Amino acid sequence: MRLEAVGRRYRARGPWVLRGIDLDVPEGALLRVEGGNGSGKSTLLRLLAGIDVPTTGRITGRPRTAYVPERFAATLPFDAAGYLVHMGRVYGLSGRQAAARTEEWLERFGITGFAGTALDRLSKGTAQKVAVAQALLAEPELLVLDEAWAGLDTAARALLDEAVTERVAAGGTAVYVDHDPRRLAEAAPRRHRVAAGRLTDGHGGADEMARVVIEAEGTGEPPAALPPHSWTAGPAAGAPGLLRIRVPADRSDAALRALLDADPPWHIRAVRPTGGTSPSGAVR
Amino acid sequence: MKALLRYQTALLLRSQRWLPPLLLYGVITGIGTQSGQPLLDSLGFSAGAILPVSAWLVRVCATGEPPAARAITQAAAGPGRVQLACTITAFSASLVLGAAGTLAVAAISSPYTDDHTQPVAVGPAVAAGLLALLACALLGTAVGTLCNPPVLRRPGWPIPVTALAALLVLVASGSPANAAVSGLVRGSHTGAVHPPILPLALTAAVCVAATALGCRLAARR
Repeated sequence: MRLEAVGRRYRARGPWVLRGIDLDVPEGALLRVEGGNGSGKSTLLRLLAGIDVPTTGRITGRPRTAYVPERFAATLPFDAAGYLVHMGRVYGLSGRQAAARTEEWLERFGITGFAGTALDRLSKGTAQKVAVAQALLAEPELLVLDEAWAGLDTAARALLDEAVTERVAAGGTAVYVDHDPRRLAEAAPRRHRVAAGRLTDGHGGADEMARVVIEAEGTGEPPAALPPHSWTAGPAAGAPGLLRIRVPADRSDAALRALLDADPPWHIRAVRPTGGTSPSGAVR
Repeated sequence: MKALLRYQTALLLRSQRWLPPLLLYGVITGIGTQSGQPLLDSLGFSAGAILPVSAWLVRVCATGEPPAARAITQAAAGPGRVQLACTITAFSASLVLGAAGTLAVAAISSPYTDDHTQPVAVGPAVAAGLLALLACALLGTAVGTLCNPPVLRRPGWPIPVTALAALLVLVASGSPANAAVSGLVRGSHTGAVHPPILPLALTAAVCVAATALGCRLAARR
């Protein structure tokens, strides 16, 4: 996905909220957008999610997208499960798939008990979990999170961290804004800063850092020392499961060592570089 | 699109915000038509009554979701498609409402001209009534689309502008909705049924143009 000379203002001759934004969002990228209040972070995210269109410039190649807003105070006439199934269908799932994924995500967030509760009677945090679940059940190619962590409890935050890392490891793209500077730092996001309507590469050097994708096969549980990763257990106990991890290049040795030293050891299927700065923004 | 329509329809039906437009339609048709009145007069009345109701239903559908939920749907399906689904849902609801009203009116009216001298063929008359209804619903949907977000976003304006515009296109001579209704009423004098083909074509064109504009502007805030 590409943004070319994108600008946005809300009124003709009004002030520019964003201006001259050129941004390359390659597949498998994790982007963190930073900036002060009212700097245009949310506008940029809305443009990326396709909710808003640029006044000037253009955005091309947007994949299947899901968006999580910061506050989901939904006064919608549905219960939690009903809303999720509807959204699942809107994302293109079949009715049965949508129902199965709804059940799965309600369970992962531990809110199965609220499946039949009307959305407007849910607590703020539980409603936010529903907002996150609707995006994750779609397994989108582009996940746009506007302070999606706000209002979630610790367990749900960790689950969302894990889910985002999983999506990125599986080749999806995620763009997020969050006030916590350490949010997903483990996964080494590219950082961009919005200030005075312009986009600059953020500080911290994480975006210059190349990353490495490691794919491994093994029969045991993944080693506890690994940073967040996506792991598909084998079809039966004892059958090999598949693990994918994306780490900063300088930490790939440690990750490999953890996998190889595990008992039983993991079989490394592939190691390949990704991310880092190159003319196109990433190498895949 | 099917999933979106399903979602919008569920949203409309469960929200119960369809109730006030339904009551408006019931009250207008109830006042304007009575048992034993000339058929074509009553059909014209019930067709005209759907115009403001369909405009209102468009407003109900266009503003049915809170902004956060709307943003989620727009990201999932694209703002244009969400707007199109809203419009189709509102239009379908007004057709269901209007068709029920038209058939009820046809059942209680007397199939004669307004001086009760000449008979009026019931089949062609009801068919013409349904076509007039379609024309009025199309124009009402266009009015609702043009006078509400995303086309008219200025806070406080949409409701009075929608009401005024709906009234205007109903009474102004030269408006295709007015032509469709007065065609039926004229038929009630002569006993001849005029199917409102030209008004229908015009209102369809206006509705398609308004809907296209709405879908184009849906991503603008």
